[in-house]
Amino acid sequence: MAGPKSSSKPSPASSETYVAVSTLWKSYLDQTPDRLKFIDAFLAFTVLSGVLQFVYCVLVTNFPFNAFLAGFASSVGQFVLTASLRAQVNPENRSEFKEVSPERAFADFALGSIVLHFFVFNFLG
Amino acid sequence: MVWQFSWLLLAATVQAASLSLQSPRFTISTPDATQLRSDTLSLTEKPEPLTLGPTDTLKLTFQITESDEGKGVQPHQTFLRFYDKASGEEGIQPVRVTPGGKAKFELNMVRPPASIPPTTHNPLEVSLILGSFVHAPAQYDLFELYLPASRTPEHPDEASFHVLPAIKHTFRPEQKSPPQFVSAVFAATVLSPWLVLIGLWSKIGVKVPNLFSLSIIPFTALLGAFEVLLVWYWVDLKLGQVLLYGGILAIPTVFAGKQALYATGEWRAGRK
Repeated sequence: MAGPKSSSKPSPASSETYVAVSTLWKSYLDQTPDRLKFIDAFLAFTVLSGVLQFVYCVLVTNFPFNAFLAGFASSVGQFVLTASLRAQVNPENRSEFKEVSPERAFADFALGSIVLHFFVFNFLG
Repeated sequence: MVWQFSWLLLAATVQAASLSLQSPRFTISTPDATQLRSDTLSLTEKPEPLTLGPTDTLKLTFQITESDEGKGVQPHQTFLRFYDKASGEEGIQPVRVTPGGKAKFELNMVRPPASIPPTTHNPLEVSLILGSFVHAPAQYDLFELYLPASRTPEHPDEASFHVLPAIKHTFRPEQKSPPQFVSAVFAATVLSPWLVLIGLWSKIGVKVPNLFSLSIIPFTALLGAFEVLLVWYWVDLKLGQVLLYGGILAIPTVFAGKQALYATGEWRAGRK
């Protein structure tokens, strides 16, 4: 909390937050393996895609509703699958997933994605 | 024999004290108390038939006396009988008689008693029936009465025995697609994350040196074939066909995947 002592600075709280966030971002860029960044980019893509579809549904129309459901569900489902893939291939989590090799995680990801896409196309109408 | 004589004697005394009707009189009036018709009734000759409108009131007064003494008596039973000769329907209405033998009966057509039979354009024959334990019974045909034709009360189940109105379905109006321009703008917006994805990936610059290696490419191709199959499903195929083709496709994919991922594991371990 910004007390009266630190009121001499213009906006200490926001600058502290800024410092914290920039530090976090920097350490992410420096320490995260490129493969995980690759997955993170895909996660960001699914989030962005889902949010935009939802915005369209709210602002314009939900017609045809089944198509919206399919698109939105594919975004959400793909995000979940990718997030679990990321959790399993992260070297930091090696101790958590001792018996799950990254290859096994990818095989799960591929199978889950195919099943998800089957349902999505089923809904697409 | 003695018993029979005594019964006969009793009967004779009963006959002797018979009932008679004194000063029978009727009045027909409208709701605003205007008298339409008022007359005494002759017991020997019927008057002109009486006619009641739908809101009129018929008032009937008389006194019952013992014929010999002229003293008013209260018979044990006093009924007015309304009889429709054409339909055979009849209605019996009890009349209250005072101990002095005086009786007054009112028939208000606004609220007719339930004992009135269903009426048509035919007149009802109205008669007075007197019954007594100690007097001989008596019946007087009073007059003929025209009542407004009755409306048959509706049976509670009446409504279920008619043709129901045709069912009309109301549908929500057809949903419309937004204008093409809006659709196009949002389609571009929703596709724009692909640019972001490609931009980020190219910035990260992950190398995939083994993508086209012989052990990897069959797996990638078969995964692609799955996606193609699903698109084909969307465009044309039926569910059963998709499951069949998918099942066939799954077999080589499993082997290719096993080989590809085994190879990847070897590379990861740095053995090749």
